[in-house]
Amino acid sequence: MRVVIDVPVRINVGPIHPSTHGVLRLVVDVEGDKIENMEAHIGFLHRGVEKLLENRMYMQACPYMEKLDYFAPMSYDELYVAAVEQAYGVEIKEKAMYVRTILLELQRIASHLASIGFLCNDIGQLFTAFMWSFKDRDMVLKLLEAATGTRMFYVNMRIGGLVRDLPPGFEDSTIELLDYLSKRIPMYEKYLEKNPVFMERNKGIGIISRDDAKNLGITGPVLRGSGVSYDIRKNKPYYVYEKLNFRTQVRNEGDNFARYKVRMLELRESIRIVREALKKMPSEGSAVGMPIRLIGPPVKNKITITERELPRGECMIYLVADPQRPYRAYIRSANFINLSAIEEMCKGQRFADLFSIIGGLDMVIADVDR
Amino acid sequence: MLIGSSYSLISTFNSWLSSGNILLNIAALIAYGIFISIILSVYDYLFGWAERKIIAKVQLRHGPTYVGKFGILQNLADVIKLLAKEHIVPDTADKFLYAIGLPAMMAISVLLVLVLPFSPYLQATNLTLGLLFVLVLLSFMPLFMFVSAYSTGNKFADISAQRSVLMMLSYELPMLIVFASVALLSKGFNISGIISAQSTTWFVWLMPIGFIVFFVTMLAELERPPFDFLEADSELIAGWLTDYSAPYYALSLFLDYTRMLFGSLIMAILFFGGWSGPFLPPIIWLLIKAVIISLFIIIIRTTLVRMRIDRMLKFGWVWMLPLSLVNLIITYMVFIH
Amino acid sequence: MKIDKNELVAKVREMKRNGFDYLVAITAVDYIKTVQALYFLRNLEDNKDEVLEIELPPDNPSLPTIIHLFKGANWYERELSEMFGIKIEGRNAKRLLLEKWDGKAAPLRKSFAWNAPYESSD
Repeated sequence: MRVVIDVPVRINVGPIHPSTHGVLRLVVDVEGDKIENMEAHIGFLHRGVEKLLENRMYMQACPYMEKLDYFAPMSYDELYVAAVEQAYGVEIKEKAMYVRTILLELQRIASHLASIGFLCNDIGQLFTAFMWSFKDRDMVLKLLEAATGTRMFYVNMRIGGLVRDLPPGFEDSTIELLDYLSKRIPMYEKYLEKNPVFMERNKGIGIISRDDAKNLGITGPVLRGSGVSYDIRKNKPYYVYEKLNFRTQVRNEGDNFARYKVRMLELRESIRIVREALKKMPSEGSAVGMPIRLIGPPVKNKITITERELPRGECMIYLVADPQRPYRAYIRSANFINLSAIEEMCKGQRFADLFSIIGGLDMVIADVDR
Repeated sequence: MLIGSSYSLISTFNSWLSSGNILLNIAALIAYGIFISIILSVYDYLFGWAERKIIAKVQLRHGPTYVGKFGILQNLADVIKLLAKEHIVPDTADKFLYAIGLPAMMAISVLLVLVLPFSPYLQATNLTLGLLFVLVLLSFMPLFMFVSAYSTGNKFADISAQRSVLMMLSYELPMLIVFASVALLSKGFNISGIISAQSTTWFVWLMPIGFIVFFVTMLAELERPPFDFLEADSELIAGWLTDYSAPYYALSLFLDYTRMLFGSLIMAILFFGGWSGPFLPPIIWLLIKAVIISLFIIIIRTTLVRMRIDRMLKFGWVWMLPLSLVNLIITYMVFIH
Repeated sequence: MKIDKNELVAKVREMKRNGFDYLVAITAVDYIKTVQALYFLRNLEDNKDEVLEIELPPDNPSLPTIIHLFKGANWYERELSEMFGIKIEGRNAKRLLLEKWDGKAAPLRKSFAWNAPYESSD
């Protein structure tokens, strides 16, 4: 016989569910169609990366770092390598700085394109925008493959530079791709923002005010969508970001649409950054870094803090260095803190809005659990 | 030759039906039933394949390619796979309702062929109140959807069941009013009468607002995007179908396209002149119109984002209902008064 | 900035009043002789960072909660108590954040062997 269900109904969304972006479990109490209460259960993908780093040689840890955020692996790799460089006090060649900036921004473009696809998928547009944006993302990945040798997990950062120089012809094909993308991005905006149902599903959903955003500590496009103008690239410039001309994109609404819009605007900014960096990049010199055994001990800075603006927000490594391996490497993950705000965002929203909020947060659960 | 032979077949069928001999009558009905099943199966199968292919093309994919030429046998393979799988009835299910829910829906949608004419002669019954009969059958759909969702005892299905009631509230009334204005225009509820009333001008030109309202309500009735809240796959997994496994799932797919066929047929009959058209035989005309409408419904699926259920309710009462009333009044003022 | 455990809440409150209204992270480092808890605070307007360091004893360490000051401290504090065995006073978490284990060991402490199989007490 059938069991009578109480009100509010407690629903388990996940760990296996079409739109939780990984193994995330959300326990939602729903009254009618309204969310009364919600709890996020994480940890299904916990691998103890921080503990693993303590037991690996410095450069052995790069692949682990890349698997944290599989939509922006190079950014994480670079974050870790930069932390090690800071610990060793290594100077980075100028050419290498430019190459890293270019590759990181290309990675950001790829990641943001993927996020558009996921957002549309989550609000029920059955894969059309998803496939289109993934096709564009794949073109960026092809370019990165040309530069690094692999399509997704690059492991192409070395102390003081990269594994190899950019291949000949890379600049031309990059410019070509950027021209193509600068045509595609307005097209996405036109198709999505002139669609009243898309706007309805995103405007005014999951609002986080400016003060709440600071109090919750959320980062990245989610923070900038709430009207806080903070971007590590601008506020604490690293590499050549100081010399490049770009703006921090901020929207004041604080809703899901603002988060999407910030990503769209950042795509444009990234295209500008890559163009300018390609122009300013010195033609001479090599970007190749060195194997770590050539540097060897001693570690110059025992304790270092490295901050980087990753596509999904600010990430930080607090590195306590030992000669051979990190004594402790704390990874502040953007997704972890952004996801912790979801309970705040979902209060009083409709059940269907939960999924547009998940899409707007653009999470990678592997990064949340670490 | 084909057309000629089909004409002779139809006239034979017609003479059997009107002969008064009970055996011949039964034979004619069986023949009609076989004819309908052939049309249904071919349509369902081809659209199951065509939808995958069309959506794949829009999404820069290839769609099914391996099984058969252009993947035409893919759906057959899928159905065989589904039929071969274990049929799991959940413990929480109300066994009786679970067993009859989907078959009942299938039966009700097939029952529509009782009144829907395929040509002047190919018609099971010519009811005076045929349009009302169609409306009654369409209104049964959400009810059975509710029953089959509720009977599984799944929470996602439960939400889906609640949504089906909300959805019925939002689109049933505008649809009823559009039906009324069609009846007003054709001066009767007889479906053959509606078609013959369109012999000079299709109703879609006479009441465009009514057609738009009807099209949208029909999308909701058929659970096609952007109104597919009931099986909203990114939120409710599969909604009311979550706990329907193997053969029942195959049946639900079959049901989906059957309903789409009848939805398109109803639209073609009420607004696009039904079987009327030059040169080709009437049944071909009707099917061509239905297929074009179905293709349009499929293409909508690839472009629109799903609406929210509370917005749908608002949309139904704030926009659709007044628009359908306006349509009724205009129809009355201009064409009748 | 090195501070004492007892003045943590007062210090964080004072800093929040002075514009350090963004909590970047909370974590800890196990130095075997002591456990050092770290609070990273940021002043978004002036672009300044501050790290509060608190030395804790390795046996039964505990910290006061700052969740009433920063809502974002919620998951950080829970992670801290699970990973380092630091008890957070004033919070009684209903369940573990990373819930796939018994929560009795402190995996990020140096005493926890990373390559030995962990015997769950459940």
